[in-house]
Amino acid sequence: MYDSLPFLKKILALPGLSGYESPVRQVIADEWGPFVDELQTSRLGNLYGIRRGTASEPRPRILLAAHMDAIGLMVTQVQNGFIRFTRIGGVDPRILPGQKVIVHGRRDLPGVIGQPSPRLLPEFIGKKTVPMEYLLIDVGLSTEETRALVRTGDPISFAQPPIELTDNTLAGHTLDNRASVAALSVCLHELSTIRHTWDVWAVATVQEEETLAGAITSPYDVRPDIAVAIDVTFAKGPGGGGYKTVPFGKGITLGWGPNTHPAIFEVFKKVAEHLDIPFQTEVSPAQSGTDAMDLQVSGAGLPSLYISIPIRYMHTPVELVSMKDIQRAGHLLAQTVASLEADFVQQIRWED
Amino acid sequence: MKELIQQLVETTGPSGYESKVRDLVIENISRYTKDVKVDALGNVIAHMGNKKPGGLSIMLSAHMDEIGVIVTHVDDNGFLRFTTIGGVRAVNCIGGRVQFLNGLHGVIFVEKLENANQVPTFDQLYIDCGFSTRKECPLQVGDLAIFERPFIDMGKRIVSKALDDRIGVAIQIDVMRQLKQTPHDVFFVFSTQEEVGTRGATTSAYGINPDLGISIDVTVTGDTPKSARMSVSLGKGPAIKVRDSGMLADPRLVQHFIQIAESKKIPYQLEVLEGGTTDARAIQTSRAGVPSGSISIPCRYVHSPSEMVDMDDVENAVRLILSFLSDPINL
Repeated sequence: MYDSLPFLKKILALPGLSGYESPVRQVIADEWGPFVDELQTSRLGNLYGIRRGTASEPRPRILLAAHMDAIGLMVTQVQNGFIRFTRIGGVDPRILPGQKVIVHGRRDLPGVIGQPSPRLLPEFIGKKTVPMEYLLIDVGLSTEETRALVRTGDPISFAQPPIELTDNTLAGHTLDNRASVAALSVCLHELSTIRHTWDVWAVATVQEEETLAGAITSPYDVRPDIAVAIDVTFAKGPGGGGYKTVPFGKGITLGWGPNTHPAIFEVFKKVAEHLDIPFQTEVSPAQSGTDAMDLQVSGAGLPSLYISIPIRYMHTPVELVSMKDIQRAGHLLAQTVASLEADFVQQIRWED
Repeated sequence: MKELIQQLVETTGPSGYESKVRDLVIENISRYTKDVKVDALGNVIAHMGNKKPGGLSIMLSAHMDEIGVIVTHVDDNGFLRFTTIGGVRAVNCIGGRVQFLNGLHGVIFVEKLENANQVPTFDQLYIDCGFSTRKECPLQVGDLAIFERPFIDMGKRIVSKALDDRIGVAIQIDVMRQLKQTPHDVFFVFSTQEEVGTRGATTSAYGINPDLGISIDVTVTGDTPKSARMSVSLGKGPAIKVRDSGMLADPRLVQHFIQIAESKKIPYQLEVLEGGTTDARAIQTSRAGVPSGSISIPCRYVHSPSEMVDMDDVENAVRLILSFLSDPINL
């Protein structure tokens, strides 16, 4: 069986912030290469891993999208040798003080996020979370050295390496959404061992955390008949319970809501039930907050679905995932794709 | 150049109603190219150059529209209630004057506030056009107006309403005037409806299908008393945008512009803008994606009737864009 853990640990340790995905894209391409017929890169940097199916031309195509970009920070100002910054993607300022980072300046510089003493901060902040604009990155260099190496707009990555808490549980930053990239690897590997009629375009998308630009543009290259986004969702855990969360390590979720096409949902559900892959229905009554939002409305419209892997502590440097769920997502994707008949889309009927 | 800028800012053109600006633009550019089209959304698309081997198809975009207000209700006494076209702030409205598309003038004022220090909401503001009854008032629901404020020439700096983005329009016209040769197909787009969601750029980018997209627009500065932190200052050069809240500029383009600026000794700044976006966002996500970026003109008091830019930045933006268009581009 294909073990995605070494690959996942490798990509978690790589930078690749929204808009700056090239370091991680290369490694994903290397991993996918043996499992696909062709690799392509789009003008905005989406990576396409293409597997051709067995149906006769013109073959139907399925687009499987997992975003490879990471949240992080960006330099706004260099001031007296210290670095002020803003966020790329939804970074929670509460977890920033004390983090280790890498500033991608003229060369990569290790740094730490420092928090000024309460006595040096405006009174209104008191003991509350210190807003990002008062935090500074210290790279340990002199004012002149810092100014020579760092400038406004340089991206900044979180620096902690991933850690295996147990055999099955991995903690690290950027599991959103490289856990799903690993699931796509599982899927592509499995498809390389079985017969499938459809063409499969696995897409590692860019810029999901900021603009969804990768998802918006990829259907114009791929011209798919169906699109599925794979992303992460909130698992139950400290500070996360109730109906908005799903159990950790107990299976993946199939999205249900306006970004989901009922017929696509149904086919994934049937395969999951048939294979005893545990899943839950994740209800998103409005937008799903995933690539599926834009995939669905591209061109003349695409039947879409989003599948999620539950993680804890989303958008922090200690996101937590169950490796089992990554395996499950990849397995379900591969088996569902393989189950699709060539005329599946023509068979879809809207019930009155 | 100042004369052209003054003419442009004194022309009215709220989003969706850009026709007067469009006429003025066409009048000014038709001496530089015969290949000028107006598309279904009212964008002016002017083509120059002939792509040579290795050349690219490049779309530049500066928006013609400006922010304004639109009437939602006329009351019995002839006072008008309104909502906004684009990012208007209530704090910039009180005591301001507006001009409707039919030429009528009005003043904006505010109901008595319970707390005189509070910032009013738009439903507490009204426009007074000098009428006493609804019957007398020739304006009706749906009529648009723009903010009125005279152009001031301070020498190195100029002040006006609608410098966002007529300064970009003026820069594009001046680039067209000075562009002697280019290895590229260059499409100068004077876009519509930017302030209400970069709509003109969305359709013109789809129609042109360029290889690269650049917007020419204003950005805010961090050089005024107790302003928000921002590394851009007035007069220190055009800003090469790295990101704004709607777009991450293509890093290869950012690098390319930095190289041009440094080799031609053109002063420049790097911009990270935390609120707002430009036409480049729409170009970037057009079709299968278009590598895009922006050249920004530092501008104080954006979206107020007294926007301020520095002419040095304007001249240097023209130089930077001319250099960009004159040479082959290998990203």
